[in-house]
Amino acid sequence: MKHLRRTLATLLVLAAGSTATLAGKSAAQQAIQDGYAAAARAADPAFKGFSAERGKAFFHAKHGGGKPETPSCTTCHTSDPTAAGKSRAGKTIAPMAASRSPERFSDQKQVEKWFRRNCSDVLGRACTASEKGDVLAYLLSL
Amino acid sequence: MTEPTTSRSDTTSAARTAGPTRVVWDLGVRAFHWLLVAGVAGALATGLLERKSLFDLHVYLGTAIGVLVLFRVVWGFSGSTYARFASFVCSPFTALGHLRDLLTGKAPHHVGHNPLGTWMILALLTTITALLATGVIVLGGVAKEGPVKAFATYAFGHAAKTVHEGLAFGLMGLIGLHVLGIVVESLRTRESLVGAMIHGRKKNRADDIGAAAATARPFIALVLAGCAIAGAYAGTEALARLPARGVPGPVLDKVYAAECGACHTPHHPSIAPAATWQAIMANLGDHFGDNADLDADAGQRIGAYLTANASERWDTRAANRLRAPSASEPLRVTHTRGWKRLHRHVPGEAFASAAVGGRANCARCHRDSDSGRFAARAIAIPQERTKP
Repeated sequence: MKHLRRTLATLLVLAAGSTATLAGKSAAQQAIQDGYAAAARAADPAFKGFSAERGKAFFHAKHGGGKPETPSCTTCHTSDPTAAGKSRAGKTIAPMAASRSPERFSDQKQVEKWFRRNCSDVLGRACTASEKGDVLAYLLSL
Repeated sequence: MTEPTTSRSDTTSAARTAGPTRVVWDLGVRAFHWLLVAGVAGALATGLLERKSLFDLHVYLGTAIGVLVLFRVVWGFSGSTYARFASFVCSPFTALGHLRDLLTGKAPHHVGHNPLGTWMILALLTTITALLATGVIVLGGVAKEGPVKAFATYAFGHAAKTVHEGLAFGLMGLIGLHVLGIVVESLRTRESLVGAMIHGRKKNRADDIGAAAATARPFIALVLAGCAIAGAYAGTEALARLPARGVPGPVLDKVYAAECGACHTPHHPSIAPAATWQAIMANLGDHFGDNADLDADAGQRIGAYLTANASERWDTRAANRLRAPSASEPLRVTHTRGWKRLHRHVPGEAFASAAVGGRANCARCHRDSDSGRFAARAIAIPQERTKP
């Protein structure tokens, strides 16, 4: 009985998740976006929401300040986020676009870990909450 | 008509002395001899070439030689007259006496093996048996395979390898002397000993020294040899089921595999000492040029896993050979002397090829790298297609 209830609950969560995915993003992805929105508002009261356009420009831009080998997100992720990329050690990276890799951007810890590592390598600094939210908005929109 | 025979033994095999020739070497002796020639030639060739691709064949040939030697020992008690040890085994002083007689031209003519030949046979059989024993120890200690993999340490296997190689050269020397003896004796007796070992017959001579006739017991021999081989096989199989000494389990830690495997092949912890892993974990912010920061809990778990499973804990070939870090690049396994030595036959272009993608990409060629075994037979260097 307990087992059945757990199965039903899981199915419900999965159903909710997939409807959310069809609608654009999952509940977990929305929660992460919301977190960045709150942080961005706290940093800048004039914050008016994320922009996929700004995220796109940021993703494809050649940044300075980081390591010379990795000037841009596209160094590893390629200029097509719907295609697979390649780590510097040669490992295949699943496409960044949420439409191709639906499990992406659902684990706050993972998202933060990769922004922490990659912003340091590409820009030589931490990214702001608004930069992270913009990139997420871009990758979730593809 | 009975020939006058001067014989040291009281009875000669009268039935076989009739006619101009008689069968001296029975089918068992002849088949054993030429199969052993083929097996030893193959084992020496595959061993001396030291190609990893020939390693399995070398082990199979060794096993076949073991079966042949087992059969020959049984046949030495159950074969026909001149196959039996009793017909030819003599003291080393007899052999020395025969050598003196040879040099003074007074050596008699033996139907079967002469005393010097006897000692050559004993030396060849002993050397081959010692090669089989040391080979099994190398297989167990270094490759962690076969019947003694549960007992032999890498160091013991490695030492046995030196002995095995020395014995192989000793065997080649003995084979040279054996061939020399055949040539000398063939010239002296004006009878091809090679031919005799092919068709089994030798001429009857007035001054033959024969041996007490014995009847071959092929059925008993086959049953006995079959039982011995079946016993050896069952014993080997039972021992091979024991876990290999100092070989890690086949699965990597899940968190380690997921976190570190996101960017590169997760290396088995046994390929570096604990100190190297700790230094790597302490400096993830600049991990060979990239930022590979981890959350505190994941970092702690991975660090503990790597330390507990570092090369000190295991006894595989990789763990032993990669245990000493490089002085100039202490964090790079590919800079250790052991790594370079193990990969000395791999051309630089193979690592540079797009199919491999660098020296750190162990799993590309070692299909068992996840298990830390790095077995010779699990190596497959991907071939890059050449552009037209």
